[in-house]
Order: sequence, then C-alpha cells, then structure tokens
Amino acid sequence: MSAGAHSNDDNALAGEYVLGVLPADMRRQVEQRIAVDPDFAALVGSWQSDLSALDEAYTPETPPRGVKARIEAQLFAGAPGAAQPAGGLWASLAFWRGLTAAAIATSLGLAAFTFVVSERPSDPAAAPALVAELGAPGSSVGLVAALDPASGALQVTPAAFSPEDARALELWLVPGEGAPVSLGLVPGDGGQLVLDESIRNRLSAGALLAVSVEPEGGSPTGAPTGPVVLSGALAEN
Amino acid sequence: MCNPGRCLAANTGFFNLDSGKADIFRDALVIDPLAGAIAGAQNHYGHGPEVGVVADVMSEQTLQGLIGKTALGDRAAFASLYDETSAKLFGVCLRILKDRAQAEDAMQEVYVRIWRRAGSFRAGQASAMAWLVTIARNQSIDMIRSKQPASIEFDDAPEIADEAPDPEAQAALSAEGRRIDACLKELDADRAAAVVGAYVEGSSYQELADRNGVPLNTMRTWLRRSLIKLRECLNR
Repeated sequence: MSAGAHSNDDNALAGEYVLGVLPADMRRQVEQRIAVDPDFAALVGSWQSDLSALDEAYTPETPPRGVKARIEAQLFAGAPGAAQPAGGLWASLAFWRGLTAAAIATSLGLAAFTFVVSERPSDPAAAPALVAELGAPGSSVGLVAALDPASGALQVTPAAFSPEDARALELWLVPGEGAPVSLGLVPGDGGQLVLDESIRNRLSAGALLAVSVEPEGGSPTGAPTGPVVLSGALAEN
Repeated sequence: MCNPGRCLAANTGFFNLDSGKADIFRDALVIDPLAGAIAGAQNHYGHGPEVGVVADVMSEQTLQGLIGKTALGDRAAFASLYDETSAKLFGVCLRILKDRAQAEDAMQEVYVRIWRRAGSFRAGQASAMAWLVTIARNQSIDMIRSKQPASIEFDDAPEIADEAPDPEAQAALSAEGRRIDACLKELDADRAAAVVGAYVEGSSYQELADRNGVPLNTMRTWLRRSLIKLRECLNR
C-alpha cells in the first residue's frame, strides 16, 4: 500500500472519515471522493484495515428476534410499505404476506419457525404440545402460536408491528359457537402470552386462532373490530 | 493483560452519552466506500489469546462463504449470516447509538445493505467480519451525525507538525503484537485514547472537543496530527 505517497492532508482526511468524527456534509464529500478517486479510496481502505483491530472492543449482544423478521420482510416481501412503519395496517398485512412468501421461497418455513419456538433458552425442555400456524388467505404461515401446557403460556413468534402505527395486532380464540375470546396483543418481537386457566382449557386441537388489526392497546369493545389478517387452527405438535 | 484497544476505550469515559431520541432516518446515499477499498485486512478473529470475546464468531472462511452465497441471492445463507453475525453488529450499533430502538433500526438498514452489497465484498482484501463491522459503523455514525449539525466551520485544514513521542505514554501502554497497537503507543496517551474513543464510540469532533476541554479546531489539529503519525508508523 502506497499510503505514504499521499499528502498528509489526504492521509488525515481518510483517517478522519474512517474514525467517523466528521460532520455529515464532510462525510458525504469524502464518500464522493472515494467514488471517483481510487488512490484515495485505497487510503481509506488502509485505515479501515488497520483500525479494524479495534473492533474487538464491541461486545456482542443478541438483537431482539423481530429485527430479523423485519429485515427479511423489507428485502423479500416485495412490499415497500413493509419497510415503513408509518405505512399503517396494510403495511402490516403486507409484512405478514411478505414474510410468508419469503419463508416459502427460502425453505425457512414452518420447520424453521418451529425450531425457533422450541429453542427458547428460557424453557428448553418443555416443547409446546399445541401449535397453530397462522396465515393469510392465499398464503401460508405468517405467525406461529405454540401452547406450552405446563406453563400455560402461549409462545408467539415471529411477530412485528410498529407502535408508531397506533395499531395493534390482537390474537383471538374463535370458538365454534359464541364470540371470539381475546388471548392478548401480539408482542412486537414475539414473546409469551400468559393465559388464564379458563381460557387455556378452551384451547385444544382444532381450535381456531385469528389475528385482527386493532387500535393501539387492543380492541376497545372486547370483540374484533378490525380486519382479520391471519388465522389458523391449533394442532398437536 | 488486556489489549490496548480495550484498555484505552475503557479509560476514555465515553460510555454515558445520551444520543437523544430523534428518529430521523437519513436516506442513505448508496455509495460503497468499501467496495474494493479495504486492502489487506487481517483476520483478527479466532486467533490469539486475547480475543476470547469473539471466540464464538464463525471462522473467516465460513463467513466468506456465506457472504458469497448471499451475493448470489441465497436467502438461507443470508439468514445464516445474520444468525452468526447479528450479535456482533448489534453490539456495534448499540455502542455507537446508545439507544436500543435506534440500534434496531440501524440493524435493519445494515443487513439490507449487506444483502445488496454482498457482491462487492472481496475475500482476501478484507476480513469478512471487518467488512461487516464497517457497514454497521458507517450506518450508526451516519444516523447520529444526521441529528447533529450537518456542517462545522473548521479553520482551514490545520497544519500538521511533527512532535516527538512521549516516552512515558509509550511505557504506559501495554505491549501487544499488532501494528495498530504498537503505533498507538507512539502517541501521547491522551491522543491515542482520543483516536480509539472516536473509533469505538463514533464520537464527533464536537464531542471529542467537549470531553477534552479544548476548542474544536484544537481538537481537530490534535487528531489529524495523531493520524499522520499513526500512518507514518503503520507504513514503516
């Protein structure tokens, strides 16, 4: 690398860029220079390479699971709205459908989702006995709800909606007769819904679950008020 | 014995910045400063006794393979790449943005970039993890800079003057084998700390000046002088 042949100014500027200390406008100027000046780009590359030893200072931390779902939805859903939380409920629907399409296309379908469920580190031993795969019409799995009979908790994964939407996704038990019963709001990053014993006892193989779009905080009436975007039946795992 | 990068970072006291809550998402211009630009990076992961923190990171070869498949549109490989690297990159975003919600937003953009730019990665020019971390750093730094003044009135490019190394500062830094560590030791301890702190924390010039209690232009002169000395050492 012939970095030494460059002027001190260029050496320092490339270093400043890689450190990240420059204000936004100068960062853009440097990037434009990188794009058209291979020698300067090589100088930046040298700094990047030399300073990367400092990357050890970054302590790994596992991100919430919803992050991956959002990335795959943005990339593979074919729905630009899915990347924009302000897109409203149709963005949410697009998200679900897109996620499903991505899952099929990449062989990351039910097996992968179920694997995530059963890999919960907090409860590795208790495999869910009942699983519902919820999908939208014309597609397949968009959400997996798994009941652990031992704890009475319903594990929901993956799930994503944006609080900015002022919308929530609410999960319902839809009995053969009578009104739907709310099981709770779908956690944004997936998670557990703890169910009352009376409700838990009504969950059995064949029971239908559905997800509706509701105002923030959930349905104000106790019954679904928004469109049902996902549905599926519980089955023995 | 801790490695100098970590010790320096720990001594800079840069840990409690409040980066604010603004959620402006700068529309990142897709210029790839890295495409073909990273040259000769060494793989710092999985080698040497001082890198236990990253012992769980996949081998360089495996990561390169996953990036290569991602470049071909292999979504399963991309998912594996995410699984294997997201913790490290989330650590990067958190450290720089100091806000979990923003770090999650950054992660989304980082992996979208990785998917789109995987084809520009050149094995042999950069280590896979260094390439990935650079994308995460750039995204995070751009996000915080977008919430700060877009431009700063610096004086004309500060003069670069030579300065004799401080023997005490050199002795204060531990002896390690890597080039950057050896060269950092040739700087005054506070200057080396400023370089490391700026890199690791993604600090702005204004933040560095405030922390060091010096005027903005003085800070820039210090840092640029330090960078020139570092470059001279690194090229030796």
